[in-house]
Amino acid sequence: MAAHSQAAPVITTADTPQTLRKKRRWGETIIQASLFICGMLSIFTTVAIVFILVSESVNFFTRQQWENTNKRITAVVDETAVQIETGASGAAISAGDVIRLGEEIMVVTGVDGNIILVDRGAQETTAVAHQPGVELFRGRRVNPLAIITTTKWAPQLNQFGIWPLLLATLMVSTIAMFVALPLGLATAIYLSEYASERVRGTLKPLLEILAGIPTVVFGYFALTFVTPLIRAIFGVDSVQIFNVLSAGIVVGILIIPLVSSMSEDALHAVPRALREAAYGLGATKLETSLRIVVPAALSGITAAFVVSISRAVGETMIVAIAAGSGPKNFELGKDGLFSYVLNPLLSAETMTGHIVRISGGDLSYDSIDYNSLFAIGLMLFVMTLLLNIVARRFVARYREVYE
Amino acid sequence: MNTTRNTQFTPNLDARHRRGFIWRILFMAALMTALVVLVALMFSIANDSFGYVVVINKIDPERLALNVINERLLTMPNTQSSADDTALAESITSDPNGIGFFGSAAYQQNRDALKPVAVDGITPDRETAVSQEYPLTRPLYLYTTGDILAQNQAANVFLNYLITHANEATEAAGYLPASEADLAQAQQNWLQANPTLPIPPGTWPAINPDGIDGRLTISGSSTLYPLTEQMLAQLAEAGFRAEVSNENAGSTAGLAAFCRGEADIAAASRPIQSDEIELCRENGRFPQEYPIAADALTIVANPALAFLDNVSQAELAQIFAEAETWQEINPAWPAAPIHRYIPGADSGTLDFFAQQVIQQELAALPTDDLVRILAANISVGRGRALEREQRFYQDKLVFDNPTAWNEACSQPKGARPSGCTAPPRTQAEIYDLVLQEVVQPDVVETFPLYDTLLKGAAIQHQMAAKYPNGSLQFRSWLTKDFITDPQSSTPEAAGVRTAILGSLWVIAITILFSFPVGVGAAVYLEEYAADNKLNRILQTNINNLAGVPSIIYGMLGLAIFVRALEMITSGALFGLVDSTASANGRTILSAGFTLGLLILPLIIINAQEAIRAVPTSLRQASLALGATQWQTTWHHVLPAALPGILTGAILAVSRALGETAPLVIIGASTFIVVDPSGPFSKFTTLPIQIYQWTARPQAEFRNIAAAAIIVLLVLLLALNATAVYLRNKYSTRM
Repeated sequence: MAAHSQAAPVITTADTPQTLRKKRRWGETIIQASLFICGMLSIFTTVAIVFILVSESVNFFTRQQWENTNKRITAVVDETAVQIETGASGAAISAGDVIRLGEEIMVVTGVDGNIILVDRGAQETTAVAHQPGVELFRGRRVNPLAIITTTKWAPQLNQFGIWPLLLATLMVSTIAMFVALPLGLATAIYLSEYASERVRGTLKPLLEILAGIPTVVFGYFALTFVTPLIRAIFGVDSVQIFNVLSAGIVVGILIIPLVSSMSEDALHAVPRALREAAYGLGATKLETSLRIVVPAALSGITAAFVVSISRAVGETMIVAIAAGSGPKNFELGKDGLFSYVLNPLLSAETMTGHIVRISGGDLSYDSIDYNSLFAIGLMLFVMTLLLNIVARRFVARYREVYE
Repeated sequence: MNTTRNTQFTPNLDARHRRGFIWRILFMAALMTALVVLVALMFSIANDSFGYVVVINKIDPERLALNVINERLLTMPNTQSSADDTALAESITSDPNGIGFFGSAAYQQNRDALKPVAVDGITPDRETAVSQEYPLTRPLYLYTTGDILAQNQAANVFLNYLITHANEATEAAGYLPASEADLAQAQQNWLQANPTLPIPPGTWPAINPDGIDGRLTISGSSTLYPLTEQMLAQLAEAGFRAEVSNENAGSTAGLAAFCRGEADIAAASRPIQSDEIELCRENGRFPQEYPIAADALTIVANPALAFLDNVSQAELAQIFAEAETWQEINPAWPAAPIHRYIPGADSGTLDFFAQQVIQQELAALPTDDLVRILAANISVGRGRALEREQRFYQDKLVFDNPTAWNEACSQPKGARPSGCTAPPRTQAEIYDLVLQEVVQPDVVETFPLYDTLLKGAAIQHQMAAKYPNGSLQFRSWLTKDFITDPQSSTPEAAGVRTAILGSLWVIAITILFSFPVGVGAAVYLEEYAADNKLNRILQTNINNLAGVPSIIYGMLGLAIFVRALEMITSGALFGLVDSTASANGRTILSAGFTLGLLILPLIIINAQEAIRAVPTSLRQASLALGATQWQTTWHHVLPAALPGILTGAILAVSRALGETAPLVIIGASTFIVVDPSGPFSKFTTLPIQIYQWTARPQAEFRNIAAAAIIVLLVLLLALNATAVYLRNKYSTRM
């Protein structure tokens, strides 16, 4: 028995593979490929977001708005004519303009008194004959420059100055940061430097509850609790029912958990040795926290701030409910800068609030309104993306230093 | 040297510690602020979800119940009714089985031929009426308004005189005196209407009517007419010189004249009713009630009914509303039939008897009565629509005619009304319908919980003056009905059933889409991806996507799922267009995919962390035993990482459940009453409802928004509790 067991196992050639080359497993390949596709879906998402925002924004800038020139043609225009005779009244037309007669679109090549020289059948329309008395429409496009040089947003009136929306967004974000930064950072310092494990264990979940409450609930809170409070403090007459201050404060409250948890991570990453060195030199706990730990974690804390700004800029439901419904159009020089334009006690519509309000109604897909929303969306996307990239740089920096 | 350093050092150190302490408090205060906000948030939700409301009914439900009972009393067998009390008394006298009831004055006139019946052992007389011991005592009223008393000196003095001398006069006129409490109430009301009298509080000022002139119009109850006439005669003797018109018109006519502004004072033998108060209010009159005398409703029987000396209220109810023979009530009594003689349908006395003795709530009425009320108060067209929705009886139709009904029900399954197959409505459902269609309660004012609890008494007082016909009730806006009812345009009837179902459908699609894809992507990035440029871009991209505002995802969803893929998301491609949908892409499917894309980065990042936490040794052991990469992942890495993955995924899903902006943008329906039936249905979700309701200016919508928030938070809590449970379950198994 014993001898038998000691005998070397017999291996026949039939048991061993012919070669030791890696076997091609098709199942594995297919699984790997489908997992890869899952991963790639996020790339598609990004590409789709960028493509849609950009293409609709391009539509916004290239879309022709037809305005009546009050000019009429005075003689019959047949299919081939390149000269159009018009009445003298109405808006002036110059070379390079695009005009429309009935369904046909033409490009103006020159003007000679009441005679307009045109290229017929532009923009895939067909040249047809036109009878006298037909009105001339001139195509107008949104002027990209006017977006940042004018101060009124009224798509129906062809006014596309972004400032009222942008300023409201910036005001809400600024107020939110004034609320969230001190409170969030102080909370982080307390939790990371002062609180015992037990206190941390009970208080942190409460902060997480705050973070888990849907934003629409915060919007309700802003309108039914914070706004009446503000109106009680500043007077009902000077504070409108919808106001930027209330929305800003509540957005700030919303992002306190974000600021505190990111800052706390950064503070935690500071090595213990640094603190112990400070204590060894006789520093108090406060001095260690504020002069050693916070500066050491500064890049992480900055990242928290930047991410928070991005979150505040993109926040929608609170501002849609509490900040106001209608862009606060203004005229520079005429309206007081602090009494009206930047007054947080008045109502104003932010970029996100505008998108939600306009798209909440019956929005027709083929309208300048629809396109303009995507232009605002593109701006929002670029702003938040830049902020997030900046934040990631800061995070990467503190990781490099301490890990 | 040493001592000087010490003297400087110690206070310095103290200052540093003090500063440290103060800052520590500040840091703690910051944390506390966040928690205070959380408390304030919960407070403001609870504050709006519960509290006092003032409800005004279009028709008083008590009146409806009363009419039914009156009807029943009048249609009992062997029952005769008459408006003339003398005629009733004569009939009872001549019928050996006769029994009936009327006011005490009429009994006094016929007391020799009739036998009074004690109720609950108490005979009606002056003593038991004043102490209100006798259960069928009712007050008689005068009505006027504070404004009239302030402006019309004659009316003011008349009332003052009446209250002062009422109890002496009533006896002389054959009435019972008003109870102490009622008289005190009348005095209180009069004093409130005369706030500037120079008298010490608590004393009753009897004003001398000598020399008072002006005009005074009184109109109303014939029961009270002799009393007012006698009072006016006494006043005239005392020197009262006002030009008086006292009209004997009956309670109803008198109150109507008063409410129209034609009379200064109305006399009534019954309390003013809700619809009369409303008429008064429309004319700017807010009636005040002055109980000035009492009447004891007397049960009288033929003296031949010797056994009938005393009855309980329950027996009384049986005598007049249920039994046919005396024996049915009490086996000891004879088997002879009961012959009833009662006042007519318009009589206040009959109302009082029905209310006091039969005491039946509208909600407790049987189905037949409720259906009759419904039929009497709504149009046939509306009734037919309700019947086709769900019928009232299994075996008969109330509103529809059988031919039209059979025709409607012979249509194919999708087109025929739901009433053809559904079981008939229950009594509770019909009662709800009567409330909705006939009573039509309207919440006219609401109060938050805080005011209700702390200023309840003041509110009760104010509202009693502002809405005399309204009832102040404590209302919880969050009820079972609120959860099970569909959306409605009136906040009192609105519910969140459609929204809850919509939310669940959307979340189901979101999970089905994003969970497998997200975990797949995480597995790829952690287990398969080589460290090359493409994969680094992939990782960065996912991190960036997590920071994109949700509203941008909404725009993506609008452009891709709603517009570009409309054929698929509307179900048109599969021929599955929902009958409730208007064949566009604004469906549950679009919403689910949009939210799926939104939470995908979160699921991926969380799953990556969970997978990364699985020890490498586990993988190496598996690979060393010859398992393939996928076998290692599927059998070892994923089970070990599952608790973490699930927790992360559920957190992401709760984010999706609360998400509002993207759904507004892709076009959730704002008003929808039909339950979603599948992925191609139109939808609304809880957060959308909360947004819509919060944005409304009316206060009641604020209340239901708060109630809906509670529902949403409870759903989120349940989801998170599931996460904790799953995590615990799977981590112990490992």
